[in-house]
Amino acid sequence: MKRILFILLYFLVPVLAVAQESEPLSVGVKGFVDTYHALRSGADHDWMSSRSRVRGEFTISRGGAGAFISANMVYNSLLKERSGLQVREAYMWCGNEHWDLRAGRQIVTWGVADGLRVNDIISPMDYSEFLAQDYDDIRIPVNGMRLRYMRDRWNLEVVAVPVASFFELPVDAENPWSVVPRDMGVPVVMNMGSEPARKFENMEFGTRLSMFLSGVDFSLSALRTWNKMPVFSTTFDGTNVVATGHYRRMTMLGADVSLPLGEFVIRAEGAQYFDEAQTPAAGTDIPCSGSLNTLIGIDWYAGNDWNLSAQYSYKFIEDYTPLMGSTEHTHMGTFRISKSLLNNTLSLQSFAYMDLTDGGIYNRFTADYALNDQMHVMLGYDLFHAEKGMFKMYADNSEYWLKLKYSF
Amino acid sequence: MKAKMFLSALFSVMAVMPLSAQNLSGRDIMQKAKDLPDGDTRYAEMELTLIKKNGDKRVRKVTSWSIDEGKDKKSLMFFTYPGDVSGTGFLTWDYDEIGKDDDKWLYLPAMKKTRRISGSSSKTDYFMGTDFTYNDMGSRNVDEDEHKLLREEERDGQKCWVIESVPVDKHEIYSRKVTWIRQDCCVPVYVEFYDKLDKLHRALTISEISQVQGFWTKQRMEMKNVQTGHSTVINVLNPQYDLKVDKSLFTVAKLEKGL
Repeated sequence: MKRILFILLYFLVPVLAVAQESEPLSVGVKGFVDTYHALRSGADHDWMSSRSRVRGEFTISRGGAGAFISANMVYNSLLKERSGLQVREAYMWCGNEHWDLRAGRQIVTWGVADGLRVNDIISPMDYSEFLAQDYDDIRIPVNGMRLRYMRDRWNLEVVAVPVASFFELPVDAENPWSVVPRDMGVPVVMNMGSEPARKFENMEFGTRLSMFLSGVDFSLSALRTWNKMPVFSTTFDGTNVVATGHYRRMTMLGADVSLPLGEFVIRAEGAQYFDEAQTPAAGTDIPCSGSLNTLIGIDWYAGNDWNLSAQYSYKFIEDYTPLMGSTEHTHMGTFRISKSLLNNTLSLQSFAYMDLTDGGIYNRFTADYALNDQMHVMLGYDLFHAEKGMFKMYADNSEYWLKLKYSF
Repeated sequence: MKAKMFLSALFSVMAVMPLSAQNLSGRDIMQKAKDLPDGDTRYAEMELTLIKKNGDKRVRKVTSWSIDEGKDKKSLMFFTYPGDVSGTGFLTWDYDEIGKDDDKWLYLPAMKKTRRISGSSSKTDYFMGTDFTYNDMGSRNVDEDEHKLLREEERDGQKCWVIESVPVDKHEIYSRKVTWIRQDCCVPVYVEFYDKLDKLHRALTISEISQVQGFWTKQRMEMKNVQTGHSTVINVLNPQYDLKVDKSLFTVAKLEKGL
């Protein structure tokens, strides 16, 4: 933390000094305190999550330059190693009305999908509690630079991440959200493997051209990156099955579009991943193969504070062979319905991920009531139902949850 | 700058002066009210107080800019209070042409994401839990309603035209509205909105009308839902006109940069 603050100040002081002296110095502080507790609804009724945190967000700016830091002070009574001070974002920026440079630890968001990833593959995901965290908490910031050139109706963005960040997966068997398989008949030990060497040639870089036109938005993206979610190879050491994560270079070319049509907005994304690492069969090398990734979604702004949204995504692995542990065709869907009541005092929402390949669903129901301007109380239920596929390992993880949030 | 302000003030007086002497239709008066000079660019901070029937209050604060582009208007607005919505931004390209949907984007700072949102349906939704619809907050082409001058009468000591407006699009949430417009400055001071059963639904009272930089400015608007007892007061703070604002302010890039 001290090192990050030092680096920020080291760069920020001259940046602010260069900024126009006639501009006033602006300082902003905001944040929240929240506490979240989840109880398994199945037979054990054990605690699935129990954590509290203070989030602080600090902005200092002058003219066209500034810095932003957001950090969490967390106490997690189930996952003790996740307690403590965690810097989420820490970056500085400078620029004018036509360009800006942002350098530091930051979340980069691409694409138009909601909760699914096609073009949006720079900032990885924190699955330490699977998808049972708020989506904005799941995104992992990356340590890099983003340069943007902006005109009235288009932006050109260049991103460089010297040292790539990767998914965080719960491989500790004690974690209720552990991804370690429990039904293989033999103990399984998982390790995330070695991340790519911190060398210049392993840098992640990409560009995105975005157009914002009357009646349509679209973007074109290109990214030289890595498979941020490791693929696991397995070996048997005589006692345990050992699963080891692997990362390989890949390239993404993608596009996305948003098209408002009356009460509806159509969203679509498509991306070709070149040389994407695929899960190997036991005892084989890591296969790399191209894949086609697509998504189409529709939002319906139905009026009277009703909103509905549905998405369908499809992934096709090219040159598929039985030696790949991955699935050749993967189908996913999401469905969201929300309604605000009592002059936006009460918000009700259901958001479902549907595994259309193997069957299975994860559905988060949320009721959010504003006690006053600062305090919200949220009650919810996470429903898991699956007999196979990606939600199978969490089939017993359905839970009730409660969250209190005070914003300042 | 002073010369421009003087000309604007002069124009507004000239625009209003002949009105009382003419035989104007309801549409003419509504068009005059819509065409009141308000500068080429605008800035304001707004405090929105939501008041429940039992008197409980919630507050929203926003900062907004807008710029004219011919008959169209672009606006950018950020929430500054309360904390959970602070930084949320709306960018709107509002088209005067009937039938052409507005372009709208919503920026959610927690998600670090801009979303394209529907430019048409949300117009009839209530704005962030207030009693004002998005339509009430934006500008509306005069020909989206059929207007009829009902009478002339005094209201709060001011001589007013009383005009009934019936929406052409039957999907509007009101079946008709009746507007009292001051004859001396052509500013609406009171509006009644009737529901589909022709019962009074909402009543808008506009007060603290004064000239700022030579432009007539509404600084307090109270919308009361007479059917639920809920009301919303908007206080306009620090209004400014004809600021030097670059067109680049009204872009998705600026929306994502924030205040």
